[in-house]
Amino acid sequence: MQNESDLIESLIRTAGRRAEPPEEAYRQVLAVATAAFREKTAHRRERQWVLWAGSAAVVVLAIALMFQWMPPSAQRGELARVVRVIGSAEQATGDVWQALGETRTPLTTGTKLRTLAGGRVALALSGGGSLRLAAETEVMLDAPGRLYVRQGTIYVDSGVRPGALRLEIVTPAGTARDLGTQFELLVAGAALRLRVREGSVSIDRGGQSLTGGAGEQIAIDFLGSVSRDVIAPHAEAWQWTESVAPTPDMDGKPAAELIAWVARETGRRLRYVSPGVEQRAATVILHGNIRNLAPLAALDAMLATTDLEYVISGDTMEIRTRDINPPEP
Amino acid sequence: MADLVHVDRAVARRILGGDEAAFLDLFDRFFPRLYRFALARIGNDPDTARDIVQQTFCNAIERLDSYRGEAALYTWFCQICRNVVADHFRRKGRSAKRVTLLEDQPNARAILESLTAPVGDEPETGVWREEVHRIVEATLDSLPGHYGEVLEWKYIDGLSVMEIAARLGLGAKAAESLLTRARDAFRDAIVELFGTTDDLVAPFGRQPG
Repeated sequence: MQNESDLIESLIRTAGRRAEPPEEAYRQVLAVATAAFREKTAHRRERQWVLWAGSAAVVVLAIALMFQWMPPSAQRGELARVVRVIGSAEQATGDVWQALGETRTPLTTGTKLRTLAGGRVALALSGGGSLRLAAETEVMLDAPGRLYVRQGTIYVDSGVRPGALRLEIVTPAGTARDLGTQFELLVAGAALRLRVREGSVSIDRGGQSLTGGAGEQIAIDFLGSVSRDVIAPHAEAWQWTESVAPTPDMDGKPAAELIAWVARETGRRLRYVSPGVEQRAATVILHGNIRNLAPLAALDAMLATTDLEYVISGDTMEIRTRDINPPEP
Repeated sequence: MADLVHVDRAVARRILGGDEAAFLDLFDRFFPRLYRFALARIGNDPDTARDIVQQTFCNAIERLDSYRGEAALYTWFCQICRNVVADHFRRKGRSAKRVTLLEDQPNARAILESLTAPVGDEPETGVWREEVHRIVEATLDSLPGHYGEVLEWKYIDGLSVMEIAARLGLGAKAAESLLTRARDAFRDAIVELFGTTDDLVAPFGRQPG
């Protein structure tokens, strides 16, 4: 009969030493977890400052109220609206995830969104611009102009509207800042890939700052190694963003407006063959809607009812009038 | 237990305060344990286990403000890890093979009895041995402080009390006391799970014949 100490010894000895995880896994998770820790503590310090600033703001507001004054557009906490959902997507404000609601759903501070396999989502940001989520992506709307991307791929189009709120995108792998642009950001743990379609984007990572310009791709691996490559604004890699593009209401609008939207969404330079054709596009009024059509399909559908047509050649979309009468020899 | 909770809460506060050394110390202590915890639950897929532990750390760090010291911090991390594992299986749907572990079952002892190897089986091989290995591993991982290491040094590496004392920078009496507490904690953890150590020990307690 063994005593208890012997039994414990026998058990531990026979079971053997605990298996150690692979060194590579340790290094990779450490890099991601450390980045998350730094982001968290930085945000916390920031929030403490915001709390202090908030207290000061309350005093200012109280004074303003004394003078019967209210700001013209008071913040109501809405950061974005869902404008399009393809496939499966979920939202959560705490730990409980639920299916993402119908389009135009308002999203407030702290809302988390995620797309499942095959899912895609487009949001209209309250400060202006469009945010799109590819499949298997998770983000949190942190504050006006600030987004946290935990994993996956997003696309930002901050729009051509001057004064649109510049977006700061915090990820475990670094922080990206939109400098007026269209770009895609892929986050996989501590690794990050930035593709800039238009304008430029800066990335801050561990005190290091990088800027990517239009047509440039920057990849940072989880150890911090940086590689640069080129990517054309009309490359096939951007097509997923077109499939979930929020379609504007074009009923009653001039064809030129639709043409400009399609050129921008497809990353192509727009060229009218003549000032007369450009003038024509500005005066042709469209009727009907292009709801949920991809940009080029929308252009096909709408221009079919006009005497305008487009030809794509490389990075250029050329607009001309249809050849109703063949040219004379 | 009250001391342990108090210490862990202080650790959480230090981390939230931006103390990177405290964070790295916690990471070094928890990473191997959580990796084994995840690996056992997703069917020995190392890449998925790594991703799950990574997600666990990210989720835990994000929610660390909500940790109130109601349980040991490792237990709290394990609960988050369980949620990440559940989320993984939910995302993968039927294509992923779910692993159900003995210690995750509410009626662990009844299951254990049903698994008892028949007389005549070779107990040193097969599923039973793997399962016991994993349970001992999980039990050692669940022990606080250096208890798991101390028991391995003593019973696997065969270190003397003096050698353990030297390794931890303790006196002989303190090391002996630590070893006793580690042994008690291990026994308590096994008994809490199964009601006794006998069912686990019996097949291995036999002398080779």
